Order: sequence, then C-alpha cells, then structure tokens
Amino acid sequence: MTAPPLHVAGLQKAFGARVVLRDLSLTVARGELLGLVGPNGAGKSTLLRTLVGLLPRDGGTVEVGGRDPRTHSLAIRQDTCYLPGETGVYLQLTGQQFLDFALGFYPRLDMARRDQLLAAFALPLQQKVRSYSAGMKQKLALVATLSPDVGLYLLDEPDRALDASVRLFLRDVLRGMRRAGKTMVLSSHHLGEVETLADRLEFLFDGAFVPAAELASARARLRSRPRVRLREGAALPAGAREVQREPDGTLVVETGGDPMAWLRAVPDGLIESAEIGIPRLEDLYALLYTSRTGDRS
Amino acid sequence: MIAGKTWREVRVMALAYLVILELLCVPVLLLWPEIYGDLQRSTLLRNLGIDWLKKIGEGVGSRDQDIAYLNWCAVMLFFRSTNLVGTAAAVLFGTGLFARERENQTFEFLLSRPVARGRILWQKFWPCAVCLTVPIFLVNASAILWSRCIDLDLPKYELFLASTHAAVFALLFLAATMWVSILLRTQAHVAAAIGAVAIVQIGVYLTQRLRPYSLFHLADFEWYGPILAGNIPAWQMFDPVRGPGFTTWLLLATGLLYWLAHRALRRAEL
Repeated sequence: MTAPPLHVAGLQKAFGARVVLRDLSLTVARGELLGLVGPNGAGKSTLLRTLVGLLPRDGGTVEVGGRDPRTHSLAIRQDTCYLPGETGVYLQLTGQQFLDFALGFYPRLDMARRDQLLAAFALPLQQKVRSYSAGMKQKLALVATLSPDVGLYLLDEPDRALDASVRLFLRDVLRGMRRAGKTMVLSSHHLGEVETLADRLEFLFDGAFVPAAELASARARLRSRPRVRLREGAALPAGAREVQREPDGTLVVETGGDPMAWLRAVPDGLIESAEIGIPRLEDLYALLYTSRTGDRS
Repeated sequence: MIAGKTWREVRVMALAYLVILELLCVPVLLLWPEIYGDLQRSTLLRNLGIDWLKKIGEGVGSRDQDIAYLNWCAVMLFFRSTNLVGTAAAVLFGTGLFARERENQTFEFLLSRPVARGRILWQKFWPCAVCLTVPIFLVNASAILWSRCIDLDLPKYELFLASTHAAVFALLFLAATMWVSILLRTQAHVAAAIGAVAIVQIGVYLTQRLRPYSLFHLADFEWYGPILAGNIPAWQMFDPVRGPGFTTWLLLATGLLYWLAHRALRRAEL
C-alpha cells in the first residue's frame, strides 16, 4: 500500500514560549486539494513550512509521501513544490533568468502547463524582476512553482496580489492539476476561491484545527440564517432578528427555527430576494472566529 | 545554478577588486628606483621606536637593492594590498551571501528548492573564493612584468608561495563573513560585525606587546619578506609541527569557519 502524500499526527511547534501549532492531525489523499483557512497568525504558513522541512517540529509525526521531513527533507523537496507566502524572487535577475534558475532544480517539468501559464500571464521575461509589479512577481513565482512535474504542491496564498481575472484563471489551472491527480494544499485569504476549489477545508485557529463537530454545528447554525434583501422602505418581518447588514443592503437574519417556514409566513411584497441553506465560507469563518475570539466587530 | 547566480552577483565586484589591486601595485613598483634613493637617504623608519616599523625600515632600506626590493614588494603587494584590500573584498563578497537573501525575502525560496543546504553553501562559497584569490595571483604575477620595466627580478616560485598564503588569509575572512552572514539577518549587521573584528585585530597588531596575538601577525611583513627572499621554504609554511606552519593554521581556521557556516545553515530557520 502506498503512503498518502501527506500524513500529520499530533504535530506541535512553538517559537519560544509561543505555541504556534497545537496537536494537529491531518491526512491528505492522493489527488486531493485541501484548503487551509484561518486568520493571520493562525499557523498556516508554519504548518506548510514544517511539512516541507523548512522548520523543525517540536512534537508529533509528519510524513510526506511516507518520508519524515526531519530526516528526508531533500527527498521530499524533490517531489514537492512549495510556494512561500512571501514572494521570493531575485530582483537582480530578468524574469527569464529567474525561471531558468528556479526550474533548473527539477528534473521533470510540465512544459504544457508552463507554456499555458506564461501565455496567460504575458510577463515581460526579458526585463529585470526589479521592474515588476507585486502581481507580476507573484505570477512569476507561480510559474516557478506550478511548472515542475511533482506529486505534491504546497501553496501559501497563491492568489496574493492577483486581480480577479487572474484568480479565475489560476482556479482553472489548479482544477486541471487536480484532475491530473496532483495533490495540493492551499492556504488563502480569498475564502471564495478556496471554497470553490477545495475538496475539503480545514479551519486553523490559534494553531489548532476546528473540530468537525464544531464545524458541523456552525454550518447548521448558518443554515438557520437566511440572507434577505428587503424591498425599499420595508421593515424586517416579525420572527427574525438582524444579525448583520452588508454594504449592499443584504441582511443576514436569525430566524430561530426553520428559515423556510419563516420565509413562507412573510407577507408578499416585503422581500425582494432570499438565499437559504447555502452557508458561505465567509459567514462560516466569521461565525467560528466570533465564537472563538468573542470579537463581534 | 546557484554557483552561476553567485558568479553573476560578484563578477563586477571581482573585476573592480582586480583593478584596485593592480592600481595599487603598478605605481609602487615603477617608482621603486626613486623611492629606494629616498629610503637610502632617510633614517626616519629605522630610528622609530616601534619595532615592526623599524624592521620594515631596515628591510626596505637594505644596502642590497635586490633584497630591499623584495622587502618592498612584501610590504606593498602583500602586507598592504592583499591584507587590506583582500580582507575588504572578502567581507564585501561574503556579506550578501545569505543576509541579502533574507533581506530580499528569497531565503525561504532558496531553502525550499530541492538541493541540500551543504550544496547551497558550497555553490555560494567557491565562486566567491575564486573571485577573491585569482586576482591575488594575477596581480602578483603582473608584478614580475612590471619589475622588468625597472630592470629588477622577482622570484616566481617564492612569489607564488607568498600569493598562496595571501589567498588563504583572504579566504579566512570570506569564510568568517559567510558564517556571520548566515547568523545575522541584514548585510549592514554582517559588515559591522566583521568590520569590528578586523578593526580590533588591526588595533591589537598595532599594539607592540599584543602584536603576536593578532591575526595580521600571521600575514605581515616579517612573514612575507622571508618567503620572498627564499628563507621560508614551502614546508615551513605548511608544517605546523616543525615550521611555523602559518598557512596550514590559516587553512585549518578557514575550514573550521566553513564548518561553522555549514552547521549554521543546516540549523537556520527562516
């Protein structure tokens, strides 16, 4: 039986007195795309760095393709591509020189994917990277990370500094890679992107994954919170209280019981549109965050 | 690949270093006849109370012009040029090796490539080592040609031995700077740390009773002069038991610093 691309059990990591990862356990199957979500400082980047052997762990077990990063870091890096959260590109090189340098370490490249990325990104490869914008540097780093033909891709905020159209393109590329059987772990602050891409999500708060039961409970709670847009001048009908008002005027309301029953009981003409039973990742994230930090802002 | 990138980063500095060394070499050699005349007339250096300056004065003011010229070359080509400019170049080359990666946020990128950290270290070290040592040999070889312009000869083999020692001395500073470049996070801090060490070492050298405890004592006029004059054969340079073996001590110290750098990089966190 072949080992899963990623298996973590009881992982712990601290920087001095500050505990960053608390007893994390995780298994990612071959061809799976795992989304990592969490606030800044939750430990997402530390987790990815530990997986690739850039940071030593303090406790627990980590196996990447059946190998321990503590003892087989080089072998792991030969079959893993890691995109750091901080875009690390050499400013003194031209884009082409940087790609030659970055890709030269890997024995096998997916030339079709590289060409696809380069064609879509249209980077001025003959110019020095120094002259690139933040988005262009991120695109260059993406070409360098996604072109090698390896089994596992660890992507720390791959959509950072990218505009919406490029994010959509990147989503298609990652989907194609997943179809090709590549395993990916992706952390992002663009929650919508992760939600549409990932086979599975893990919420990381304060160095620990949110337990499945807590997640299920939060999802259930969100299902009782429809989003409604009232007709102009209309007041919120009885039986619901406003939880949140979004900038476009949409209200998130708490109905207490069955939201469908409440909606059916609302007199005609008061509600312009409603969305029920589709918990958005943003809402889930906010609910989990609020319940853990008590921050209601 | 890493070696190629390192080479690209240091090649202009290496060229500038070569030119500076050569510019320091040419005038002092071509002006030697006039300088020798002045030295013959002056007793200033010989009458100084500072013993090492007195020895230099006696050496370069020798009545035998061939001996005086060899001593002059030991002072100017080695004690002055390669010691000071070579040390400065070593610090310049070594400072950015890892601290610049941290400053530019490419350290994580570099360490996450599928290449062993020991190999990263070596591929950054050897191009710098070549850029640091080759100019020493080239400039000192050119001194043979310049000497012919003033009808004097420099012994090739002895010059090669002295250049080898000077190159090892510069490598010591390169290894030290590379190690500190891994430990500290900014180039300014690395340069300040190594600069402080060099200044303290020079200060110790200039203090008469403390001079034997200075690193520069291992590469001063009293060492290069006898090498050029053929009084210190190669075995004495390299044999730490029967001869002073200064070159071997420097090589061992360089090896130790390289090992420390290797250990620091292996343990380096982001």
